[in-house]
Amino acid sequence: MEQQTHNNKIDQKVFEELCDAIGRENVLDNIEERVCSPFDTSEGKSIPDLVITPHSTEQVSSLLSIANKHSIPICPQWAWTGLSGGDVPVKSGISLDLKNMNRIEPLNARDLTVTVEPGVVIKDLQDEVAKSRLFYPPELGSAGFSTIGGRVAESTGGMIGMKYGVTREYVLAMEIVLPDGSVINTGRKTLKSVAGYDLTRFFVGSEGTLGVLTKITLKLLPMPEKIGTVISFFSDIDSALNATDSILIKNHLHVRSLEFADKICIDAIRESTEGEIPEEVGALLLIDVDGNEKNVANDISRIDALCRENSALNTSIANTDEKRNTLWDIWKSISPSLFKVNSMEFNEDCSAPRSKVKEALKKVYELGKAHSLQVAAFGNVGEGHVHLSVICNNGKVVDVPVNNLISQIFKDVVSVSRSNRSAQGVGDTKSEYIGLELAPHEIEIMRDLKRMFDPKSIMNPGKTFGNSSVHRNTHYK
Amino acid sequence: MSTDWKEEVSKCSKCGKCQTVCPVFLETGDESSVSRGKISLAEALRDKEIVYTDKLRDHVYSCKKCMRCRTVCPSDVDYEVIISALLRGVADEMGIPLLPKIIFRYILPRRILFDLMLKVGSKIQRFMPGKRRGQMRHLPLMFMGKRWIPTLAKKTALKRLRTTRKLKNPKMRVGLFTGCLINYIYVDIAEAVVDVLNRMNIEVVIPQGQLCCGTPSSTMGDHKSSKKLADVNKQVFESHNLDAIVSACATCTKSIKLDYLRTLGPSWQKMSDKIYDISEFIEKYCSDDYKTKPLDEKVTYHDPCHLMWVRGITDQPRNVLKKSSDFVDMDMAGSCCGGGGIFTIIHYDLTLKMLERKVNSIERSGADTVATNCPGCIMQIADGFAGKDSKIKTTHSIQILQKAMINGGVDKGK
Amino acid sequence: MKLFTKNKKEVNKHQKALNELIRVVGKERVLSSVEDRICYSYDGTKQKVLPDIVVRPGDTTDVSNTLKIANQYEVPIYARGAGSGLTGGAVPLKGGIVFDLKNMNRIIEICPEDFVATVEPGVVTKQLQDEVAKFDLFYPPDPSSAAFSTIGGNVAECAGGITGLKYGVTRDYILALEIVLPDGSVINTGGKTGYDLTRLFTGSEGTLGIFTKITVKLIPKPEKIRTLAAHFRNKDDAIDAADRIIDNNILPRTLEFLDQMTINALRGHTGTDMGEDVKALLLIDLDGTEESINYEMPVVENACKECNGFRIKVAETAQEREAIWAARRSISPALYNIASHKINEDICVPRSKIKEILQRVDRIKEDQPIYIANFGHIGDGNIHVNIMYNDDPGQEELAEIIVNKVMKEVVALGGSISGEHGIGNKKSQFMELEIPPHEYDIMKRFKSYFDPKGIMNPGKMFIR
Repeated sequence: MEQQTHNNKIDQKVFEELCDAIGRENVLDNIEERVCSPFDTSEGKSIPDLVITPHSTEQVSSLLSIANKHSIPICPQWAWTGLSGGDVPVKSGISLDLKNMNRIEPLNARDLTVTVEPGVVIKDLQDEVAKSRLFYPPELGSAGFSTIGGRVAESTGGMIGMKYGVTREYVLAMEIVLPDGSVINTGRKTLKSVAGYDLTRFFVGSEGTLGVLTKITLKLLPMPEKIGTVISFFSDIDSALNATDSILIKNHLHVRSLEFADKICIDAIRESTEGEIPEEVGALLLIDVDGNEKNVANDISRIDALCRENSALNTSIANTDEKRNTLWDIWKSISPSLFKVNSMEFNEDCSAPRSKVKEALKKVYELGKAHSLQVAAFGNVGEGHVHLSVICNNGKVVDVPVNNLISQIFKDVVSVSRSNRSAQGVGDTKSEYIGLELAPHEIEIMRDLKRMFDPKSIMNPGKTFGNSSVHRNTHYK
Repeated sequence: MSTDWKEEVSKCSKCGKCQTVCPVFLETGDESSVSRGKISLAEALRDKEIVYTDKLRDHVYSCKKCMRCRTVCPSDVDYEVIISALLRGVADEMGIPLLPKIIFRYILPRRILFDLMLKVGSKIQRFMPGKRRGQMRHLPLMFMGKRWIPTLAKKTALKRLRTTRKLKNPKMRVGLFTGCLINYIYVDIAEAVVDVLNRMNIEVVIPQGQLCCGTPSSTMGDHKSSKKLADVNKQVFESHNLDAIVSACATCTKSIKLDYLRTLGPSWQKMSDKIYDISEFIEKYCSDDYKTKPLDEKVTYHDPCHLMWVRGITDQPRNVLKKSSDFVDMDMAGSCCGGGGIFTIIHYDLTLKMLERKVNSIERSGADTVATNCPGCIMQIADGFAGKDSKIKTTHSIQILQKAMINGGVDKGK
Repeated sequence: MKLFTKNKKEVNKHQKALNELIRVVGKERVLSSVEDRICYSYDGTKQKVLPDIVVRPGDTTDVSNTLKIANQYEVPIYARGAGSGLTGGAVPLKGGIVFDLKNMNRIIEICPEDFVATVEPGVVTKQLQDEVAKFDLFYPPDPSSAAFSTIGGNVAECAGGITGLKYGVTRDYILALEIVLPDGSVINTGGKTGYDLTRLFTGSEGTLGIFTKITVKLIPKPEKIRTLAAHFRNKDDAIDAADRIIDNNILPRTLEFLDQMTINALRGHTGTDMGEDVKALLLIDLDGTEESINYEMPVVENACKECNGFRIKVAETAQEREAIWAARRSISPALYNIASHKINEDICVPRSKIKEILQRVDRIKEDQPIYIANFGHIGDGNIHVNIMYNDDPGQEELAEIIVNKVMKEVVALGGSISGEHGIGNKKSQFMELEIPPHEYDIMKRFKSYFDPKGIMNPGKMFIR
């Protein structure tokens, strides 16, 4: 087998070993595949030497075994929606694409559990379990093409981080291939289990640095009878956040999700929504409630009232799937719209306790002004996640001010709250900021634990605790 | 009911539920304070792993004997049997301190000496500094600590009520067991009992030969002395032809109704069956019979441990108060006030903490007066308020009823 | 009970450590008399081993200083909250130091705007629940010992409770921990940065470190709770009814099951009105707004009826509710009506295997002279299998054999040997039925990493 290599550092012998073990068709070495593979929206780019697309745990095991033997770095890749550099191979090596491991095991609805392979796309999972009138609660805005493996590895907060908790609460058991190629099974496929240490949850959120998750058993819940969505427009972000306080804190409405978007986001999507959003709208809230019919009707009318009490300009309600989808499509268009509007986009995200979101945003806007940059903010208020987009209009290379702004925001928001990381994984983009949160001896513990599983440091090296070797290029339109 | 403490000890499943109600554990957080801890000490004694020491005695004495634990124990351990055995063990193995021993052995059984001892005390009290609303401040060196205690009565209840009114056609004839605190300090309570019952057409007799119920000596494990006292009380009360015996002291009622069954055996059962707390008696026999004009006074009620937790009596005193006053309940009415003889002397600091909780509850209720059915509790709670120079009064529920009946113009009985 | 059985050298070694401890944390924080130590020699399992000393830290510094000394002199440390655990977690098997955390019991902070609270480990669970209820907030994990067990203990064991199906378990509610490691260093877990040490330490049963601060997540308190009791003529109907309720998209706040043996025990004990025709019982709580409950209750009633439920009683008043729940709470003591000794297992199986495991338990028992009562959280498959035996010769051995067989069946059906009680030393013998060797070794590696000298709760969880 000849490698069609281009700057490939993989030894021919190793290449053959891989092909033997995994199958030639699963070992992709052509430049097109390699270049396309790690496309990433965090402006980091690196080309892997090989892209491997295994079909089974055995193949993953063989791969890691071989890679470990030859000290070749492996970076698992979860679709291409990772927003924080988690998918960019930092040192060149093998990109592991689990798209072919996308089976959903037949489920027994009684168990309220399902076991899936990591490449299963979330939407497919939801569709499948919906047949049994079940659902998987940690659902995301990018549910269209995110995979379970990716989300579990990053331990995402999810959009329903409020009523239904977060991803890690729904992972019951896993099959994991460790860096040396050995396969372990953690947890039990039961709703409760406390035997021994919680290895399952320890691996959740490990971002591919400790091993490859090859089977994941998830907890499901019965689908709620009804879901209702409310979209409410405000003239400014303050009224919108006041309404949020009213809904969540003063009135304890246990909503499924509560998202907000500010003026810049709305300006960005105004075009695509064909005039549905009036000019005077400076902020919006998008709220989901679910439960039985009675609950939903009551909650919706209460939210409507509370929004109006807080100077909402207009409130719209959707209780059919079609109408709900329309509203959510508006929401999902924010991120791509922001990117379209501007030539450059730095996506970051911050986390602040619910009660400090207003204060955090104030700081963000102040800082933006001070640096003469615009910052768009949107996110999940309930969980205190704020996505920030720093918008640069003029195509100039403004790396430095933007980086300054970002680091300033992080420092300030961390002083507002405790954590500077939220829904997405830490990945590469924030490695240098790790120090803001963990004490030195705590970082040391993380490094030790990493070494315990991956002494040769082949798994997603450079992530989380290492130094980045990626040269960040800026994009131009 | 098992009288074998070893059997009771082996019933304990070590679940720890007694921690939820033990008033001493609530203050200390020490496992040795709670029933489960004491039971484990009893086990160690049973298995000869430890012997009686000062430390053990301290732990044994730290039990409030309120019996709350018994009401929640899922294994139905009769904790009273165990703690009594431990107290007896302490007395047997380590002896009883001299002063209490003299009082239990020589003074309590002899009314004349008891009277004399306290008479001397009441003379000395004239020289005590600081009097406040009928309470006087004790010097710190005295065994009662820095407490406010009530002044001793000039004439005891037994003497004052030596003869009581004979009614023409009484509904019933009951005997009154006064108990020491009422006899020597709270004579008014005894008078109120007689007065109220007379107004309900019930004749009251106060047998003169009655002695202390024996609780102080039992508490210190001197069961010999307690038995002597019980024998005399049995003989005295049986010699009168009584339809019932009432007491206004929750501790005495518990002692003569329940403890005497152990001390005197089944021969006491018949008498035990007709012994009542005064509110209990009124509710049972007279509830239709009395008119009142409720006082325009907010009154709240504190549940004495020996009435609520040992006997489950909580409604009757409240019903009496509801008819007699503007009744308001307090939060945690059943929590221990910290009062009660030996415990307050040995664990004064704990007593104060428990008292503070109680005083705060009472204040929160907004009441002008707190009523209860145990003079021990009255003394303790009054101590708490006197220390704060508060205007809140402490009294017995029967005294509130008395006032309300007088208010209502009820006859004194013929 | 072990008294002073150490050889002279070991006594001396510990003596130095104990002296230094007294010097560092202060005499008032230390209990050394045998009378005091006896009171700290046991937990809820009736095992008793005398510790060498009891230390009662007041704050994180005390904990840290104690661990430093213990680590230096290699003295075992046994953390203790209320001492109510059911698997031996707090029993000082090797003597050493009992670490009584009961007096580190401040509720440090409740932030109703952020729906979080931070507490010290000695806070009693019910106390926290009552305090946050004042803000209309709810801390759901509700083990049956909630009125006296501590949050620290709950986190160490990852306690479950009756609300598990709808609301999850302790590990789902812990946001952050301050932990003192065996070498005395203090770490804070809980940011989303790095590995999830919060989850690693939750359920670690005092074998990796001591919690000194615990931050928990709270949720809005449901407005109302309504209780229903449904009677069945056989257990399969009851299990079907439970399934039917969930099929109707209802997650009850609690969904408890009692089998025939359990009901027989209760019948004698509380005088509860359960006729001879009742062979299984479901106890169901719904919570939410009044309207929501009114909407769901008929659905639940119908589900029970459709599965042959009869005498379905919805509690209308608080007293009626209390009466129904009093029955559930009386189970533990009532079982002693059947026999004088009990082995209480809390297995968990996939929900679809509940009927199967109960059948297998029946088969294991066959017609042997022993009694097995099954009851518990049928909503999430967590069943308390109680083997009752008396003092007759051979009974205890028979009970142990049966437990062994039951555990094997549970694991064979994909279940877990413990749903919520933890392992301690009572279930460590069964760990390897469930945990394969490689995973067991990984757990041991974590243990060796954090506690190289093996001073934290030795003798628990691992048998080798």
